[in-house]
Amino acid sequence: MTTISNNQASTGRAWIMLLLAGTFEIAYALSVAGSQAFTVLNWSVSAVVFFLLTLYALSVALKTIDVGIGYAVWAGIGAVGSAVFGSMFLDQSLTLAQAFWLAVIIAGVIWLKLASSDKLQADETGLVAP
Amino acid sequence: MTSWLYLGIAVLFEIAVAFSAGNAQGFTRLWWTIATLVSGAIATFFLSLALLEFDVGVGYSIWTSVAGVGIVMLGAVFFKERLNAKKLSGIALVIGGVIGLRLSGAA
Repeated sequence: MTTISNNQASTGRAWIMLLLAGTFEIAYALSVAGSQAFTVLNWSVSAVVFFLLTLYALSVALKTIDVGIGYAVWAGIGAVGSAVFGSMFLDQSLTLAQAFWLAVIIAGVIWLKLASSDKLQADETGLVAP
Repeated sequence: MTSWLYLGIAVLFEIAVAFSAGNAQGFTRLWWTIATLVSGAIATFFLSLALLEFDVGVGYSIWTSVAGVGIVMLGAVFFKERLNAKKLSGIALVIGGVIGLRLSGAA
């Protein structure tokens, strides 16, 4: 019983780390854009800090969560978030056609990452991953 | 058109980031960790050049997704990972979306 609840607790922590990694990735993308090719100091420092944070949080999360699933969630949060917050904070509004094609790309990358998941492929064939 | 070139270079180095981070084993191996950080810095710099032209949502999504396609292709060519129908349809969606964005005047 203890093992099961320990596993659940560590899985919960891993998912929180993954959501944090996604949030850091949004902050990273916005900072890189705001840095104006690293000519604005504050945004440049912020970009470097969030790059290291996202790398760290993602690596911790992926110790527990399946890599394919983890990357899919992380990439999805980063891409959708940077589009939404970019239009809010940096006044970069998308046209309807651009939003549509952006959604196609994001759906594609999430689908691609899920297709690379060992866990999901094993579930399909009925094999249990070790 | 130069911004697309910058984005392309950023994609190549992002593929290097994924490859090095995968080999760094939780950043316990020094040289792979250094390779991850160096390629990350170069990728970020070229992304920042591209984002002078692209809107952040568009540029960032193209960057991360095309790198994702590159990683799968690299795995198929060099590490004999199978390219199944699911992966191919994901790749097709990404490429279709990038072409759509290009045609809709995103940059």
